[in-house]
Formats: sequence, C-alpha cells, structure tokens
Amino acid sequence: MAEIEIRNLGIDYRKPNSDEVFAAVDDISLSIAAGEFVSIVGSSGCGKSTLLLSVAGLVKIARGTITIGGRPVSGPGPDRAVVFQDASLLPWRTVLGNVRFGLEMQRWTGGDLTERAMSMIKLVGLARFADYHPHQLSGGMRQRVNIARALAVDPQVLLMDEPFGALDAQTREIMGGELLRIWEGDKKTALFVTHDIDEAIFLSDKVVVMGRNPGHIKEVIAIDLPRPRTQEILDTPQFTEYRRRLRAHLAADMAGMHFMEEAA
Amino acid sequence: MAMVATSARDTGKSRAARNWRPDRSTVISMLSVAVFFILWQLAPEMGWVNGRFTSQPTQVLVAAIDVILNDDFFYHARISLAEFSLGFALALVVSIPLGVLLGTSRTARHLIDPPLMALYVAPTLVLLPILVVSLGIGMASKVAIVFLNALFPIVVNTIAGMSEADPQLIRAARSFGASKLDVFVRILLPGSLPSILTGIRLAVGRGVMGVVVGELFVSQAGIGYQLNTYGSAMRIDRLLVYALVVSVFGYLLTVSVRALENRVSTWRPE
Repeated sequence: MAEIEIRNLGIDYRKPNSDEVFAAVDDISLSIAAGEFVSIVGSSGCGKSTLLLSVAGLVKIARGTITIGGRPVSGPGPDRAVVFQDASLLPWRTVLGNVRFGLEMQRWTGGDLTERAMSMIKLVGLARFADYHPHQLSGGMRQRVNIARALAVDPQVLLMDEPFGALDAQTREIMGGELLRIWEGDKKTALFVTHDIDEAIFLSDKVVVMGRNPGHIKEVIAIDLPRPRTQEILDTPQFTEYRRRLRAHLAADMAGMHFMEEAA
Repeated sequence: MAMVATSARDTGKSRAARNWRPDRSTVISMLSVAVFFILWQLAPEMGWVNGRFTSQPTQVLVAAIDVILNDDFFYHARISLAEFSLGFALALVVSIPLGVLLGTSRTARHLIDPPLMALYVAPTLVLLPILVVSLGIGMASKVAIVFLNALFPIVVNTIAGMSEADPQLIRAARSFGASKLDVFVRILLPGSLPSILTGIRLAVGRGVMGVVVGELFVSQAGIGYQLNTYGSAMRIDRLLVYALVVSVFGYLLTVSVRALENRVSTWRPE
C-alpha cells in the first residue's frame, strides 16, 4: 500500500501585486510506498520544492489530492516533519532547545522532552554541542540539528527540501552518508528534493525527474542498487548509467528552456 | 571561528579580573574628564570666563551637600521620579501591545502608520501647552508628556522587531503544527525582544527629557521646578547639582537597559 498518494495535483501561484495566476505544478501523480526513499530532481523553477511543501501541508492545493496513509492532507500534521534548506533554527535557542522545539509544538507526550531531544542529538553526532547556539555552528552542523529536530517528533514521513543545498561538496557527501546511516535505522518514508544528481541516486529507491512550465513529472527512475550503500557505489557502472540517464533528462529540459527564451 | 573568538574573549576577561589594568580607552576617557574638571576649576580663577555663569567644581560639590541637607531635595526628586515612573509605566503598557498589533497586522499598520509616524517625527513637546491647559499644572500633565515622549520609540522598535521576524522560522514552526499563539510566543516575541529593549532604552532618554522640560515649562515642584528657580536666581552651582542628578539618573537607567539588551542579544551573531 502506498504511504503517500498524489493524484492529479495542481498548485497555483498568484503573481505578487496582480491577479494573474499561474500553475506552479500541474497534473502530478505519484505513489510512494511506506519505507521508500524518493528523490525529486529538476532544474530550478520546476516546482520540486512546491511539490514537497504541498505534501508537508504548507502550500494550498488548487487541484487534485494528496493522501498519507489514506488520510487527505489539509495542513501540517504530526505524521510528517520537514527539514528545510536553510537551517531555519531559532537563533536564540541552543541545539537542545531547537531539537526540543518540534516536540514542544506537537505537545509531545511520549516521555521526557529533553531526554528524547538528547537522544536525537546523539544520533546526529552533536552530543558535545547541545549547549551551543546556531551561530556558533558550521553549516553542516546546523543541518544535523535540523535533521535531529525533524526526527525527534518521530514522523512517518520525512520531507527534506534541499537540506544540503547550501553546503560545500565535501560536507555534502558526508551528510548524505550520515543521512543514509540514520535512515537505515528505522526506514522512514522519505521525500528528498535536490538538484544534485549523484546525491539523488546515492540516497534513493526512486528518482523523480521534473520539468518546468508548469512543473510536471517527466519520468520516475527506479534505482536498483544494493543497500546499505557506501561512497564506493558512485564508481560502479550501474551508478554511472543512472547518472547518464538523469543527466540526459535534465539536459533536454535545459535545452528546451533556452529554445523558449530565444522564441520569446 | 565564532567559538574560538568567544573562548578567547572569556579568558581575556577573567585575566583582567585577576589583575586589573585599565586599557588605553579607559585611561584616555578618565584623563579627558580630569582635564575638564581642572580647566573648569581654573578658568574663572584665571579670568578666562565669568565665574558667575560657570561656577566651579568645588562650589558645585559644596552646593550638592547643601542641596541634599537643606533643600527638600528628596521631596522634589520624589515628585519627578513619580511623574517619570508613572508616565513610563503607562507608555510600556500601551506601546508594546500597540507595536505588536501594528507589527503583525498589515491592515492595522496601513491604518495607523501615517499619523503615528507624524507624531514620532514631530517633537511631542509641542503638545505641552495643550496638555497643561487640559490636565493642569500638577503631576498629570508631566505624566502625560513622559508617556507621549516614551511611547513612540517603543512602538516603532516593537513594530520593527515584529515585522523583521524571519518568515523561514515561522514556516518551520508551522510545519510542526504551531498555532498562531505558538508562533507569537515562541518566534515573534523572543525574536523581537532585543528590538523592544532598544526602544525602551531610547525611551528612557526621551522620558527623562519630558519630565524635566514639563516641569521647567510650568510646575509647582520637582527637579525641573528647582532648575527653573535656581536658573532665575543665578545660583549656577545649585542648578548644576540638579542637572547632574538628572543626567546621572538617565545614564544609570540607560546603562541598565543596555545591559539587559546585551543579555538577551547573546544569540545574535556579531
């Protein structure tokens, strides 16, 4: 049974200071099974973040439906947690305070808040930094906090909006490996937005390729690579083949874009 | 990097506490104050200025003792302090909720912003004659002028703090199911606390000015009343004692608010 079921989803945006409405994404249908790790890739402006935020319940749905475990999405809920691109941590709270934040907002009743938060901080390897404020941490550490905050509320679905987008290539690779290690632990259903093809293949069971004007799904590619995965997998022929296919898709999208700009 | 900087500063501080040696800036500041007092003392003696208008540090010191012992000093100080405290407390009670409302509601802001800004820019002291006519020459008119003077800096800075709230933080809070009240209490309020305190600090100076000018304008008692009395009587030494009391009071209050401000701003990146 599909954990997340998206059917003919359409989301409209109103241009600022005008009544002009255009579709950010249109006619999107996608099924994600429980425990599956799915990445969404696409050039900027293809609506991949919009799609993720609509699953989070943070964006108004204009057409179609999203259901999670059979229940339609009408707003944020305790069954989902989001890891945002920028740290979006409360700067006046410590690491511990930030990880507690989600628990406090959800009126967590599963035991002691601090204990729960601390165990998540340990999981992401920041036990020594529990008393630090966000501005004292590196970008990678801040994203670890962000992930710990999302995991703390024990969601069924983990939604990640380019969580490593602002990190340097090396930190990014390390964080990808860390994320997989944590995910292997209890295999939450995961939806991961990125523009990094390697990252998408490395992490996912399925990669969704999106195109633009309006945002739509071009193809869904199943990634049939054994788990648990390590960085060595990046050099295997299968991985290279997946990379080639995804590159071709994205390149076609970019070419179409230039053509349209010239026509306009 | 920030961590390193913090720890370096901490050890620097503790070393300074053990073996106190004033740094360059402190020495220069103290020196300039000393030079000022010496020049002030010497100038009338040397005939550079007329001592009737400038008085002298030694005379002011004698006058200070005299004022405190024989001049109903505490009676006047209490009246001014009461006017200030009442007006300031009222300003706090009104301005913070008003700033919150204006900072969070676009409609309210569009509605009240123009008249508010007009009042903020115009010196509130121009209203003094009206206040005296309507509220009398007693404490009420001074309370009102302190209130008006202190109100606007707090309102304006509260609005700034509220509207500068990071929309990303609000979105993150909403993703965890935060209610509007949650967002207000956990995001907007702590996020704007440093701004609100900045407003309060600016309001202290304006409030002190309000009470003194109000009393100078027309009154029966208070520090400003005494300033007026000794000004017309050419008792410059006593006048300066009262002026000094006002500035020390304003200074100490401002410094305490600033200390509080720094305490709640530690999370702000430098």
